[in-house]
Amino acid sequence: MSNPIAKFLALDKLATIFRIIKQNGGIRASMYKLYRQDELKDGRLVGEDEFGNKYYENPRYFYSRNRWVEYSDKFNMNYDGSQVTAEWFGWLHYKTDLPPHQDPSRPKYKWMANFTENMSGTTGQYVPYSTTRPKVEAWQPKPKTSV
Amino acid sequence: MQAIKALGASAPTVLSVVKKGGFAPIIDQIRQTHLPAPNPKERRPYSPFQDTSNVAEYAVARLDDLLNWGRKGSMWPMTFGLACCAVEMMHIAAPRYDMDRYGVVFRASPRQADVMIVAGTLTNKMAPALRKVYDQMPDPRWVISMGSCANGGGYYHYSYSVVRGCDRIVPVDIYVPGCPPTAEALLYGVLQLQKKVKRMKTIQVWYRK
Repeated sequence: MSNPIAKFLALDKLATIFRIIKQNGGIRASMYKLYRQDELKDGRLVGEDEFGNKYYENPRYFYSRNRWVEYSDKFNMNYDGSQVTAEWFGWLHYKTDLPPHQDPSRPKYKWMANFTENMSGTTGQYVPYSTTRPKVEAWQPKPKTSV
Repeated sequence: MQAIKALGASAPTVLSVVKKGGFAPIIDQIRQTHLPAPNPKERRPYSPFQDTSNVAEYAVARLDDLLNWGRKGSMWPMTFGLACCAVEMMHIAAPRYDMDRYGVVFRASPRQADVMIVAGTLTNKMAPALRKVYDQMPDPRWVISMGSCANGGGYYHYSYSVVRGCDRIVPVDIYVPGCPPTAEALLYGVLQLQKKVKRMKTIQVWYRK
């Protein structure tokens, strides 16, 4: 790696490619990852959240691309940005450098709701409702009686 | 139960309000048109059409999958920049957010567009033009309403010259909130629309007929 001739011939880049493929679990698994997330990176596994999303970091990539999430295999092709949990959001977006399992200052109360992804388009979606009397009362015509 | 019913008939209680208000019909409608909420513990299949009972239904479901895959992979929006939201709409075309990687390419002609992004305040004067442009788009077509002004009038809700939401003029698929929404939010809206397109039942409905 530190060989100046190899570096001049860009052989260290070749070594990086092989290292990336190796870390992603071989050629077949790398192809699948490329298909699924259009990107193939090597990095240090920082942690995993409750849904099985894995969070990686590699400072070799430039800032804002050096932290990323690999969504759980359960999500298949239906992954979505809102599946990153609230605990990991701050780390992934550089609000904090401490991942949730190493941060002692995170508040945890029993009234805190469980994290859910964006449920729009499913029956789990949020539907606003009014608690006041409707201002407009629709006219409901009486059915015609056959006299 | 009898007592509750009697109470509901006599005074505007919570029960009668819920009955009268727009709450119950919306829930019913959602149950019919929306997919069941995903279970975070289960593996999600690619296709939303899993409950096929025979070979023909399976075949049309897969054809629908193919059609939807094609449609969601090449959604060409009509540029309809009306106000400051249009600046954010330009941002998603720029390299940082780069909508081209989702196959979203701006077309200047409504006849070649699938999606119309209504970006900005829709004024009364612009409304007929918006409708005309929408009418010129070929089916299937979708509308993304971008920003508070397009969603419901926003800041100009009480103005004499502004349409209180572009859904008074055209049917809207996705509402992107914000004033203006970030380019990231608009891109998320486009992805949500892709999700919506994925569960369209074009051929299955034809087969059911």
